[in-house]
Amino acid sequence: MASLQGYLIVSTMLFGIGAFGFMARRNAILMLISIELMLNSVNLSLVAFNAFVPGARNAGAIFALIVMAVAAAEATVGLALVIAIIRTRQTPEVDEYDDLKE
Amino acid sequence: MLAIGILGGGLAVVTLRNVIHSAVAMMICFGSLAGMYALLGAPIIAAAQVLIYLGAISVLILFAIMLTQAGDASLPAPFHRQAPIAVVIALVVVGLVTWAVISTAWHVAPTAAAVAIEAVGNLLFTDYALPFEIIGFLLLAAIIGAIFLARRPEEDERAN
Amino acid sequence: MELLIAIIPALPLAGFLFTVAVGPFLDHVPAHGHGAGDHGVGDHDSAGHQPESHEVVAVEAHDSHAPVDESRFRTVPSEEEQRLTSPHYGHADDLANAEGADGVIPPELADGRGQTGHVAPGAERPRYRSWIVPTVLVGIAWVFSMVVFASVIFGGNRYQVTIYEWIVAGDFRVTISFLVDQLTAMLLLVVSTVGFLVHVYSIGYMDGDGGMCRFFAYLNLFMLSMLLLILGDNYLMLYVGWEAVGLCSYALIGFWYKKPSAAGAAKKAFIVNRVGDLGFGLGVMMIWTTLGTLSFTEVFEKIGGQAELTVTIIALLLFAGAVGKSAQFPLHVWLPDAMEGPTPVSALIHAATMVNAGVYMVARSNPIFAHAPAAMFAVASIGIFTAIFAAAIALTQNDIKKVLAYSTVSQLAYMFTGLGVGAWAAAIFHLVSHGFFKGLLFMGSGSVIHGAGGEQDMRFLGGLREKMRWTYLTMVAGSLALAGIPIFAGFFSKDEILGETFSRGYGIFYLVGIVTAFMTAFYTFRMIYLTFHGTWRGVAEVWHHVHESAATMVVPLQILAVPTLLVGLLLGIPPEGGLIHKWLSPVFEESEHAGILAGSLAASEHGFSLLGIGGLLLLVGAGVGAAGIWLAYRWYVADPAAPARFVSRIPFGLGPGMYAASVNKYYIDDIYQLAFARGGVLLAEALWWFDAKVIDGAVNGAATLAQGIGRGLRRSQTGRVENYGLGMAFGLILVLIAYVVVIR
Repeated sequence: MASLQGYLIVSTMLFGIGAFGFMARRNAILMLISIELMLNSVNLSLVAFNAFVPGARNAGAIFALIVMAVAAAEATVGLALVIAIIRTRQTPEVDEYDDLKE
Repeated sequence: MLAIGILGGGLAVVTLRNVIHSAVAMMICFGSLAGMYALLGAPIIAAAQVLIYLGAISVLILFAIMLTQAGDASLPAPFHRQAPIAVVIALVVVGLVTWAVISTAWHVAPTAAAVAIEAVGNLLFTDYALPFEIIGFLLLAAIIGAIFLARRPEEDERAN
Repeated sequence: MELLIAIIPALPLAGFLFTVAVGPFLDHVPAHGHGAGDHGVGDHDSAGHQPESHEVVAVEAHDSHAPVDESRFRTVPSEEEQRLTSPHYGHADDLANAEGADGVIPPELADGRGQTGHVAPGAERPRYRSWIVPTVLVGIAWVFSMVVFASVIFGGNRYQVTIYEWIVAGDFRVTISFLVDQLTAMLLLVVSTVGFLVHVYSIGYMDGDGGMCRFFAYLNLFMLSMLLLILGDNYLMLYVGWEAVGLCSYALIGFWYKKPSAAGAAKKAFIVNRVGDLGFGLGVMMIWTTLGTLSFTEVFEKIGGQAELTVTIIALLLFAGAVGKSAQFPLHVWLPDAMEGPTPVSALIHAATMVNAGVYMVARSNPIFAHAPAAMFAVASIGIFTAIFAAAIALTQNDIKKVLAYSTVSQLAYMFTGLGVGAWAAAIFHLVSHGFFKGLLFMGSGSVIHGAGGEQDMRFLGGLREKMRWTYLTMVAGSLALAGIPIFAGFFSKDEILGETFSRGYGIFYLVGIVTAFMTAFYTFRMIYLTFHGTWRGVAEVWHHVHESAATMVVPLQILAVPTLLVGLLLGIPPEGGLIHKWLSPVFEESEHAGILAGSLAASEHGFSLLGIGGLLLLVGAGVGAAGIWLAYRWYVADPAAPARFVSRIPFGLGPGMYAASVNKYYIDDIYQLAFARGGVLLAEALWWFDAKVIDGAVNGAATLAQGIGRGLRRSQTGRVENYGLGMAFGLILVLIAYVVVIR
């Protein structure tokens, strides 16, 4: 039973890891995975608040469920896009997608 | 313990070379998260996490990786040139938020409260009915979009 | 009477407008082959250039007693030279012959010079009528002017006529109104008389010139401007007339504008005038700012209360304008070149009217000058210096008109000297008499040029007194007046100025003036002897055609000879107490005592006395004049080799150098050309460089800078999503920092 702050710190660190993964990895699918990580970290903090903040009336839980749904939808569409792109350009490395370069 | 699972999994995700290995690490991370939700007295969220993330999204990602594998290509460099900057930024972000978290005086109850499933169900259909419906639409749109986007060109022509 | 005064300037205005509108239709110039009434090819008013500097180092002996030696005659000008120097070269009117001399002389008479009065058989006579209206109107104006003159001078009246409230802008009020007092009346006399006579003279002189209607239109415009100048009752009217006469001078000097030297001379006149006008304009503006009014009467009332420094500055600025307009040193350079214009123009503008505007203006402003002794001294100094300077140049000039031009500068300088020492009435007296005899001399020179087939260079004239009696006699009369011989007009006026200079304490100026008088007599009679005495030195065939000029040209000469003889006697006796003094005293009474130096005769209340100093000075003046005539006789009639001997005897071998300096106008023109013309060009080039390199460089540099910035910024558009993600993360950090800073 850690304190609220502990959960929040974990959540933050997971967020940072996800951010790092998004910015630093070259594989497109890995970037999407990192995004899922970030979303999950947010979920964690939401549920943590829901647990510790009096008078929350389960709003945090509901919010977390909704975030999950949205993340699912986003993952679906995102992956569809990435599959299409990878098929077209024959490479999953994002730094080779520079057609919009000036 | 679970925290280690979470964070360790996360780190593994972002550092492993092989995408499939990263996907597996992601699943470990999700699992630990589910455990943490349960610890926080929200078993329904834990269940949802397992169902959605471990059950659906992870599979989806694995499928995507499988569909787009370019054969036995040698693994190219995993990190961008901007990776060091990314580390710095991530650390800064984490540091800022952590500091904010620590220095806030939270008016919180000392122990976790539990989440009742009936209560959540109730709320979904009463106070939060609108978001519930909208989520439905969102998922519908996502499905249609995904189907359309993932088509092969020949299917496009046949459809036309 | 007021109505008369208002009409006087309206008449030339009407003449100008009429001639501009209708004139071209009144002249009928047949397209080709008319030879009547032409000025011959060689009859060029202004082609008699001075030998430019470097040819003449030694004095040419004027040998008039040797047998006629063909080789000494001037060679027939070449075709090209004829064409370029013909007065018709300047024609641009459609009516006129555009081809220059070729179209003028019918081939059968093209013996190198067209001859006046020869009509090719069967050729059509041109018909000129455009001179009628302007001349008649100016004649009427002359009659009215005489009436006004009589009323003002003999009746003692003083008129102020307001025509129109011109400018009303807050405190600044200016009216178009005329003031006629005795000073204006004297000027009216000169301007209208000489103006009318010049109009008549031009009928004959410009006969055959296709631009006749343009000429008369400009003449009328000039009369209008000059009348506005002298009639105006405030400084702004004066300024308007001032500028307008400058403009007319430009138009008339450059009348034959296709001739490059004429066009250049016109430009020079206008620009040099303008330099003076700058000072004049500033002076007028200063009057306005210190006194709040421009009307003469009000200004003169208030000027006494101002600080002397202010008044001195105003006076000097006004005088700067006079220096330009009246061709004093250093702005004298335009007047000799203005001889490029037709001779009537020279007679009118540059002898009798426009150049007097400066003298008039200073005389009119006498209260201002009376309160600024330093300015008066400056006026006198510049005056006396210019007098001797111009006389020194006139000694060696070979072109008749240039001699007269420099003589004008010198006489005007005398007038300014008179003004500067406080001899106001004497200066105006000299103005009046000079207007008459200089107008006479110029018109006479025009007659000479006309009769001699266009020759202006005195080295190629001579012996004309047999064939041009009346011209000769009238010119001698004018010359005696100019030289200051007793009885004639110039004696009284010039010697009065010199006498006043002496008695008011300006001893050195007096000496300079006396030397100048000697030089004046000398060069004037040099001109007479070279032109009329001895034997003809020009082209032999021309000699047969030399004749007295037409009546329209000779009669004005005869008319002008009368005041030349009489004006002195009528107005100047007794000296310093004569009629003219009495007439002008109301204008100058408050300034009578300005300019008197301490310890001088005038300061000690000694009056003028024929038996005392005054009489002695008169004798000296007359003696000096006679001596000049005698020397001219010796050197140009009796012993023509004398000048060369004299020059070679000057110690240190300076003779030829001095001669060259004098002939080349003491190189003032060259200095101006170098300093101002070249300097202007260099300045313009420098500024062009600055504009092209620095300013355009800055502008182009700004553009280049923008391009560079753009190029730099474009590198951020990588098209790669990870870079964009990094950017988003930066933004996130900023937001977080903002949160932390603001909320915490």
